[in-house]
Amino acid sequence: MDSATLIQTLLNSVVASSIYALVAVGLALAFGVMKMANFAHGEFFMVGAYCVYVLYGLLGLPFPLAVVLAVPIVALLGLLTERFIFRPTRRNVLAGFMATAGLAFVLQVAAGRIWGVGIAKGVPTPYAGTAEIGDANLGWQRLIIIPCAFAMLLALRYFLYRTKFGKALRACAQDPEIAALQGIRINRMTALAMALAGASAGLAGALMAPILPVTPYIGHGVVLIAFIVVIVGGMASIEGAIIAAVLLGFIHTFVTTLADNLIATMVGVVFMAVTLILRPKGIMGRERA
Amino acid sequence: MALLLELDNVSVHYQKIAAVRGITIGVGEGEIVTLIGANGAGKTTTLRAISGLERPSAGEIRLRGQRINGMAPERIAELGIAHVPEGRRVFPYMTVRENLEMGAFLRKSGTELRNDYEDVFTRFPRLKEREKQLAGTLSGGEQQMLAMGRALMSKPKVILMDEPSLGLSPIMCREIARIIRRLHEEGRTIVLVEQNARLALALAQKAYVMETGRIALEGPAAELRENDEVQRTYLGITTAS
Repeated sequence: MDSATLIQTLLNSVVASSIYALVAVGLALAFGVMKMANFAHGEFFMVGAYCVYVLYGLLGLPFPLAVVLAVPIVALLGLLTERFIFRPTRRNVLAGFMATAGLAFVLQVAAGRIWGVGIAKGVPTPYAGTAEIGDANLGWQRLIIIPCAFAMLLALRYFLYRTKFGKALRACAQDPEIAALQGIRINRMTALAMALAGASAGLAGALMAPILPVTPYIGHGVVLIAFIVVIVGGMASIEGAIIAAVLLGFIHTFVTTLADNLIATMVGVVFMAVTLILRPKGIMGRERA
Repeated sequence: MALLLELDNVSVHYQKIAAVRGITIGVGEGEIVTLIGANGAGKTTTLRAISGLERPSAGEIRLRGQRINGMAPERIAELGIAHVPEGRRVFPYMTVRENLEMGAFLRKSGTELRNDYEDVFTRFPRLKEREKQLAGTLSGGEQQMLAMGRALMSKPKVILMDEPSLGLSPIMCREIARIIRRLHEEGRTIVLVEQNARLALALAQKAYVMETGRIALEGPAAELRENDEVQRTYLGITTAS
């Protein structure tokens, strides 16, 4: 591998890690508070991408504005998912699983009905130029993902560790019954967790819209990776999810460059298997956020 | 004395099984009232019913005359009942400080709240030393202090304590007893559940002995200490006959 390819691959790895982290963090957060996996989480990513397709691609709003608007829209979707799926099925894990899997299909079909299934939606590239770093060239469109993801993750961290409601959210993830005894309303906290999950997955989808072909099914691949990241990271651990996202981002990107996409996915899954054999509870092995 | 907390004929069922069967308990302002009894007698369930973690199937629970059963636990916490749960249950991945902050979740920040942090830290100097440490890394005794401190931070009218001495060394048990006695001297109202009947009867003014979900005996703690049956069953004293 020459130095240009190496730099290029390294930067691409950071971009991939950023997206994985954004998607996985929301999944881990929601799992931590509700102890339920959201199988429609990939569709949050998809809806984020369609927000940019509609607002920027079709309506012609500025790209940054479209991305910023996608965040509250998908957060609202998360909020509705909590209210109408997770809350009614709280005492029945299987029902929750079936309902979110169902929601994933509903959202896919809805997107297909409204905007068509066949041809991928091309979103025009808002930042066409490339940055020259050493001998490597990397598109601005990809590079801007890095600071955006960092800002979101730092904001999330600040919220969880520095604010009263963020701390209450963590308390809820660690022991909901005892959190209720402190006067914390559990329903509010699960709603908050799902809104944050939607916001971060929606941001990831919005940022990727000009790069990926936007189809109703782009959530599939993303959520699969997110589940691997969260399992490797230790289910409900935010830090674990971020570490695992970086590891997997680098593994996928490097193996894709050296071999191909399919082998990269295989190596990623093998990595998960090996991690779980060595540390059955994941990297940050604990069950609570 | 007007009763601060009353349980009137309260029953609690788990599915069809009755854990608590029609108990009546009165707690006066400033009193320590203890529930003693064997494992599975319904003591913990009684406390959980008071703080709203279980819904009574019959009867009424009143705080200052206001009916509270059927309310959500967060609402009951707001009304001034703090629960120091069995097994301490501090938030393990939060710092000592954050655990106390959660105790004060419903309160507004200000001078009074700052003074209360100071108060907890003077009461439990160990917690001050470990302010930034994760609660899950504390010893059992320290976790018990933290659970008590967390309850105090809510500025409660009534403190429910479930087995505060459980699993602690004799020295730590004495320390916990000293802390409870001091809380009593300050005029706080405490409902104390204990398997360590000797400790409980030494601390409390009024005692209830629970057996299979019912109140088997009740009376001033000093009297129950002298009761033959209590001595035989709960204090392990055999009288020569």
